[in-house]
Amino acid sequence: MRNMTILVVDDDPVIRRMLEKRLEKEGYEVLIAEDGYQAKKIFPQQHIDVVLTDLIMPGSIGGIEVLDIAKKINPTIEVILITAHSSVDTAVEAMKKGAADYLEKPINFDELFLRLEKIANLQSIMRNAMDLSQAMDTTESAAAVTIQNLEIRNAELQGRLNAIETILRDKQSPPYDQVDKVLDLLAAENNIIIYPQ
Amino acid sequence: MLKISPDELKLVAQYIHDISGIYLDQSKSYLFETRLSSIVSEYDFKSFKELYQKAKTESDKIIERKIIDAISTNETLFYRDKGPFELLQHKLLPELIDARTPGSPALKTNIKIWSAASSTGQELYSIAITLKELLPDFSRYTIKLLGTDISDGAVAQASRGKYNKFEMERGLPGDKLQRYFTMFGDSWTIKDEIRAMVQFRKLNLMLPFADLGKFDIIFCRNVAIYFTLPDRQKLFNKIADSLADDGYLIIGSTESLTGICPLFVPKRYLRSIFYQKK
Repeated sequence: MRNMTILVVDDDPVIRRMLEKRLEKEGYEVLIAEDGYQAKKIFPQQHIDVVLTDLIMPGSIGGIEVLDIAKKINPTIEVILITAHSSVDTAVEAMKKGAADYLEKPINFDELFLRLEKIANLQSIMRNAMDLSQAMDTTESAAAVTIQNLEIRNAELQGRLNAIETILRDKQSPPYDQVDKVLDLLAAENNIIIYPQ
Repeated sequence: MLKISPDELKLVAQYIHDISGIYLDQSKSYLFETRLSSIVSEYDFKSFKELYQKAKTESDKIIERKIIDAISTNETLFYRDKGPFELLQHKLLPELIDARTPGSPALKTNIKIWSAASSTGQELYSIAITLKELLPDFSRYTIKLLGTDISDGAVAQASRGKYNKFEMERGLPGDKLQRYFTMFGDSWTIKDEIRAMVQFRKLNLMLPFADLGKFDIIFCRNVAIYFTLPDRQKLFNKIADSLADDGYLIIGSTESLTGICPLFVPKRYLRSIFYQKK
């Protein structure tokens, strides 16, 4: 499984350092932002799988705004909010806006790792499904070209058979003329245009 | 998971065919087991025979509806392969508008389009968006866009026009997403101006549908593949009756009418094929 890249957004340097250390130890790639403004700058520059953000930070970009920015840049980014017990209601609101989960302070790391693992599994299933549908699209479009060519060619040949039948059933026409006309129609075989692939 | 016996398999496969026309390969018993497992556990059925008997005898048909929802495939996308929509935009609609526009400017141009297996609605909404972008003066047209599907669940979701991120991810170009959908959290809802153009209802394609009237364009993509050959023949014969004489039929890009319906002739436009009546 590919390692996930996690962006940690928190104004508290102690929590930042602790999260960075523990997450790196677990094998995650970690990016750090000191507040919402820094996070906003990082989003367009880096591939991020998960954002771990404090709900309440100084300035006008809090956790909810980080969530909005992340989802706007790439809806597949999952956001986990870190919240004090007193702001659980806000965190639940955030879940309605698309946050994957929230964690109450103080952070229980076992709980955090469990949730990250769940997100990793889900993303891997998603990628797998995308790969499969990509493969299906490729197979389907290749098959479509073949089938469409056959369909058109079949209709063309059917039309020619009908024309030959009409010529041969024409009792008025001398047999040599009929043969000539039929041969002309058959010679046209070489002119069937197959659409280029 | 509850296992299905060979006898039950025959019984259930026949029953599913009777209620939906869908033909499931009986060598794939796991398909029956996995798709029906949620109904089995919801009602706590002890066997598939019990499920069959309850479904067949209950008067309100709730289990039957749930079976159809579970068994029908709802793999669909916005603009699922681009070909048909290019075809619609550059060839079929311009031709149709030329043919249908009345001599008097006081009269409206009538256009009727049917998505015969509309699933969760993406195809019909894609058609509606194409129309909206192509026709600047909407008030001059009377447009009827009908989507039908055998699954109540699919019809309900189509009518809501609400999609989650998994359903939105592929197919829809970003500018169309922004213009025609409202985003909230992880879900997108189609805007009212598009939703107002379409109508969804339940329909089993195995039953008569002549009462829907005649259509100018019929999309019947990737549904006949779930039917047996005789059922496909019947279906496309009925579709021929429901199509205007100069109307257009679009089937799935890997489907063919050869050996199925001699009433249609295939025509090519760019990377797509469409059918017209002979």
